[in-house]
Amino acid sequence: MATVLGKKKTVRINGCVAAAQAAKYADVDVIAAYPIRPYTATMMALAQMVANGELDAEYIVADSEHSQLSIAHGASSSGARVFTGSSGVGVHFAFELYSPISGSRMPVQMMIADRTLDPPGDFGSEHTDALATRDMGWLMGWSCDAQEAFDNHLMGYRIGEDPRVLLPQMVCQDGFFVSHITSEVDLPDPGQVKEFLPPYKHPYPLDPRHPVSHGPQIMPEQGPPLQLERARAMEGSMPVIEEIHEEFAKIFGRRYDPWIEEFMTDDADVVFFLQGAHAVTGRYAIRHMRERGAKVGLVRLRTFRPYPTDRVREVLSKFKVVGVIETNMGLGSVSSGGSLYAEVCGALYESDRRPLVHSFMAGMGGEAIVLKEFYWMTQKMLEAQKRGKIEKRTHWVGFED
Amino acid sequence: MSTQGTHIPDWLQVPFAGITPAPSQKGQDLFPTGNWRAIRPVYRDKMPPCNNGCGANEKIQGYLDLVKRGKYLDAYALIKEDMPFPSITGRVCYHPCEQACNRGQHDEAISIRAVERFLGDFGQALPRDVVRAGPPNGKKIAVVGSGPAGHSAAYQLARLGYEVTILEKSPKAGGLNRGGIPDWVLPRDVLDREIERLVELGITIKTNTEVGKDVTWDDLKRNYDACVLAVGLTEPNSVRAEGEDKNGVLYGLPFLRDIGMGTSRVTLGPRVVVIGGGNTAIDCAREAFRQGAQEVTMITVEGNAGEMPCVPEDLHDMLEEGVELLHERAMTAVLGNGKVEALQLHPARFSGAINASPIAVDRAAPAERFAADTVIIAVGQHASLKWLPDQFKTERGTIRVDRFGRLGETNVFAAGDIVQAGSGQPLMVVNAVGDGKRVAFNLDKVLSAEPLQPRTIPLDVVTDLGRMNMTYFPHFPRVQQALLPPTSRRRTQDEVIQAFTEEQAVEEANRCFSCGTCNACDNCYLVCPEPCIVRSVRSNGLYKILVDYCKGCRVCIEECPTGCLEGVPELDFDTGVVRMDTAFAITQGLHGRQAEELRRVADQAAKDIEHWR
Amino acid sequence: MPAIEVQRQMLPLLNSPNQGARFYNPDLPETEPFVPGHRTCAGCGPSIQYRMTSKASGDNTILVGPTGCMYVANSSYLCTPYNVPWAHTQIGSAGSFTAGVAAAYEAMIRKGKWKGAYPNIICEAGDGSASDIGLASISGALYRNHDCLIICYDNEQYANTGIQASSRTPYGGMTTFSPPGPMIPEAKKLFPKDLARMMAAGHPHCYVATASVGYPIDLMNKVRKGLNHKGAAYLMVYTPCQKGFVYETPRSIDLGRLVVECGLYPMWEWNPEQREFDYSFRPASMRPVSEYLKLQGRFGHLQAEHIATLQRFANQQWHMMGVELPEPLIRAADAKNLAAMASAEAAAVVAQTV
Repeated sequence: MATVLGKKKTVRINGCVAAAQAAKYADVDVIAAYPIRPYTATMMALAQMVANGELDAEYIVADSEHSQLSIAHGASSSGARVFTGSSGVGVHFAFELYSPISGSRMPVQMMIADRTLDPPGDFGSEHTDALATRDMGWLMGWSCDAQEAFDNHLMGYRIGEDPRVLLPQMVCQDGFFVSHITSEVDLPDPGQVKEFLPPYKHPYPLDPRHPVSHGPQIMPEQGPPLQLERARAMEGSMPVIEEIHEEFAKIFGRRYDPWIEEFMTDDADVVFFLQGAHAVTGRYAIRHMRERGAKVGLVRLRTFRPYPTDRVREVLSKFKVVGVIETNMGLGSVSSGGSLYAEVCGALYESDRRPLVHSFMAGMGGEAIVLKEFYWMTQKMLEAQKRGKIEKRTHWVGFED
Repeated sequence: MSTQGTHIPDWLQVPFAGITPAPSQKGQDLFPTGNWRAIRPVYRDKMPPCNNGCGANEKIQGYLDLVKRGKYLDAYALIKEDMPFPSITGRVCYHPCEQACNRGQHDEAISIRAVERFLGDFGQALPRDVVRAGPPNGKKIAVVGSGPAGHSAAYQLARLGYEVTILEKSPKAGGLNRGGIPDWVLPRDVLDREIERLVELGITIKTNTEVGKDVTWDDLKRNYDACVLAVGLTEPNSVRAEGEDKNGVLYGLPFLRDIGMGTSRVTLGPRVVVIGGGNTAIDCAREAFRQGAQEVTMITVEGNAGEMPCVPEDLHDMLEEGVELLHERAMTAVLGNGKVEALQLHPARFSGAINASPIAVDRAAPAERFAADTVIIAVGQHASLKWLPDQFKTERGTIRVDRFGRLGETNVFAAGDIVQAGSGQPLMVVNAVGDGKRVAFNLDKVLSAEPLQPRTIPLDVVTDLGRMNMTYFPHFPRVQQALLPPTSRRRTQDEVIQAFTEEQAVEEANRCFSCGTCNACDNCYLVCPEPCIVRSVRSNGLYKILVDYCKGCRVCIEECPTGCLEGVPELDFDTGVVRMDTAFAITQGLHGRQAEELRRVADQAAKDIEHWR
Repeated sequence: MPAIEVQRQMLPLLNSPNQGARFYNPDLPETEPFVPGHRTCAGCGPSIQYRMTSKASGDNTILVGPTGCMYVANSSYLCTPYNVPWAHTQIGSAGSFTAGVAAAYEAMIRKGKWKGAYPNIICEAGDGSASDIGLASISGALYRNHDCLIICYDNEQYANTGIQASSRTPYGGMTTFSPPGPMIPEAKKLFPKDLARMMAAGHPHCYVATASVGYPIDLMNKVRKGLNHKGAAYLMVYTPCQKGFVYETPRSIDLGRLVVECGLYPMWEWNPEQREFDYSFRPASMRPVSEYLKLQGRFGHLQAEHIATLQRFANQQWHMMGVELPEPLIRAADAKNLAAMASAEAAAVVAQTV
């Protein structure tokens, strides 16, 4: 049995299956599965591929997310290309492993289809699950549709496994909005993938012929240099990420800005700042409002870790007002809303022309952000622009007049 | 970019992601855990009790260990260092080693003699002996007597390169080995083969050559560079009874000698009495059956069989063959008309007096008459040294030697029963062999003008089972040598005690504890938690402890089955003490480098503060 | 590309160290996957086990070390005593990390990404990991039957953190989380989790066995049987902890024998083919539990009734092994025939030091 890839074609699949397809195209060796909605569909698809003989991989049904990530860690440490994933509380059950995996510099790939944490018992997308792990040393970013998810998974392996980087990746997509919405996805030619993604080769795997010890205890004085090295890896990944996006565009013909996607921002006064699937609704709303003369645009963050601080400052400094759509919970945080606000404000602090910044608590609990709410938020931003100051730092959208 | 402009000092360089290469000397040096140790394990081979108990100090533990491994040739070579004729001692020895054997405290002593015999017979079957004469040194030695002591001395001297001539008064060489030991204990061809081995070593044996008759004392001194007198005790003791001159009165050793040498025909009457309770008496009693006696009675002064000065096994075998015992009697007269018809017996016991007549005979009691046709008196023997200058004689009639076996300042030495009688050493073949060996070495020293070393007494003989770990030795019965059935053996000269098969010899050797001596069991090597016990090849005593790492837990000592490991306080050592830099050293190692930096910071601080202002 | 068949190692079993009456360990492999220069305590039982296990498995081995003594004390400061690949993993990841390594090698060999015989993959989990926090992950690895050996080095407590009770700590065992006092004179009230039987019962397709450092060759052979078994194997090994048990360091191996001879650590194997327990292992002798208890400070506070309780427990274990109880052991299960451990005061002092 060996992995079988078909010819280049366009298919209609959802985000979960797109992620599974990407794993198959990456010819992963070990898959660690554990069911939790909504990401489960990815593992269902992979299970079928293995059963069908399309994908030659060890498919392991783990006993928990903690085990999933441990299996992934062990397999990656041994030199295998690994795929795992989770959603919501599952992401958190495995929390212990995030730092050890990045600390040992194992390029594990984890697909996350976001799900609200408990409570409430809810399947809908909220980014808190992944964002809570944001400082654990994983590369992290959100896709907004199935095609982008497929592409981000392929690029994730390429970036994470680059010998200059060697870091794990969380490739996130919104639960339901991406994971369960079917759209057209171009599946590449196997030759293109082969050209883009060389085989995984860790410099120091667990190999009996070249014995090494992974993760021994250290002297306290050896802690700082090790942490500095991990920080260097994270920062050092930035030029690599740009380089690989460029290469991806050359081979596959789809070009992404690795950090930020701007939509109708050329002459915009006010912009939304968000991650993930709500950008799709947002684009529609903006086009609609533009027709009515509002100078509104949209800035979508594609890569959250490493955080492109300078790009965020440069881009957002062009505008008068920024509305951060959180889709995450940062209870008692800087904004008392979500955690994205602080990331935006932190980037803007050193700007000469700081825009006003709103934190919008919208799409919570996996609820859709409907057009009406985009209009309401635009209204709030325009009012602030007119007034020259914000009326209130954080708005709970749908609960205020 | 937070990491821009950062640099990691060379002494804090860490491998990628802390992924550490396989152990290197440099890495391991960081943890010289040997400096935790208060007690150091030390391999110190001690004297096993068997080696110590053996009159010839055979390396018994050593050859048993080789037999265990099937290395019979090596074992034979080892035994031959101390013992010229293991095939003989393997049959006749009274095995003081077995009495000393620690296994006797655990279950049953090792059947060392049987294994020795196995090796001796193995050696006899070799087309050529493993032992070679030493390179000739041109010096000539006379050894007077070819019994165990003379044989041993001649053998060792030949190995040292001397030209040795044995002078033997009998027509055949062998001395007591031939004349004092019955054929059914030591078959004649076994002895003959051992004598041949001596000749093969280049030793000249002159039989029918008696000192004092054929060769004079002066001849000895004139014709040889040195000589060894191993003439033994040849004259039988009398019991001083009336009528000892009657026909039918025989003496123990001459009786056996006549049979062994074939020097005269022995005829016994149907009823034979043996006087005496020692080993020779037992041999005589048993031989009497083989010479045609119908009834054999042994008459002893001792109160019961347990008091008899003999080897219990031989006594047991004798009784099995049908010899009757009569205790607490002394023969006071031989009755009969020119020929033994009966004996007169009186009650007797040992008086406990240490003088010439320790036996108290109650002549006031009524005499007892014991009908007999032949009486064999076997109550010891004494020397015949008419030819020896008186200055070298003791009051007991033996040869006066110093503690090196030397006669005054002469180049003459003496060995064997002739010096041991009265010395407190039991008269045993093996003691005579040991004596011959030591005298040969002393003689060599004298001729090479080297100082003589007194015989050292081993300080540390392992006799306490608590010093070994008995959990490793399950109880295991002694392998018994087969015996001819008592009824059939009474009339034959066939060997009574049967040899071990190879399997039996190995099985029995396997029972050896190797007391106090490393036998490469690998246990220390296996149980060390570090592990800091190393060996390049698995062999006795080749284990090494890496003292840089040994933490002194003493598991190896506790688990050493043989007790060859012992703990010695670390303070007793001035070598191998760990004083390496460690990862924790304040002034050295990695912390030390950092400390140096910090000290510089303090020196610099005043200037820096000034600068900031 | 056709799949490549995975070649697996078959390690020969070692002969008994007693050949007739002779004690002579069989020839051991020359390789030293575990070398000195590590900070385990003097006489460390788990370290002895580590030495024997790695010696038995040889060079084509990968070791996984979940957090525990053998991680903290062994893999020191960027210098490790392992001559074979070794990886730390989280204390709860014992089975799962190991499963990841096993799966990686299955896939990599099959797909031609790694060439060579399938390595011996051994997880060395302490009893804290194996019986508590990592129980599910180990159960998962066994259930899924990855070709690996999971060893629980059972020192009956969390030792590296400073002697805390685990679910393997025996009844009456003093730890810093189960100290004796007027209200709880016996210290630990609970009986230990019957971990190995649980693993055998729950994963009957696996080779499962118990072993002790007191029987090195038996231990090494069980390691080899476990590795030779195609699929998952589980071994629970008694490894005394000098610091936690409070005994004289030279006794490490001796305790390993005594615990078996006292019936507190039954030695058995689960045969996955026959689906039955093999209780044929018999120690050289049977002893009352007090002979084991009296060597250890952690039992110094026990009263006669507590010792009797432990003897009843041991007697049940003998019964399970199908061994007929000799009269003295039946009598020893009655507190009337026993005395308290004399060293209760000494034990209190010890309790303050551990």
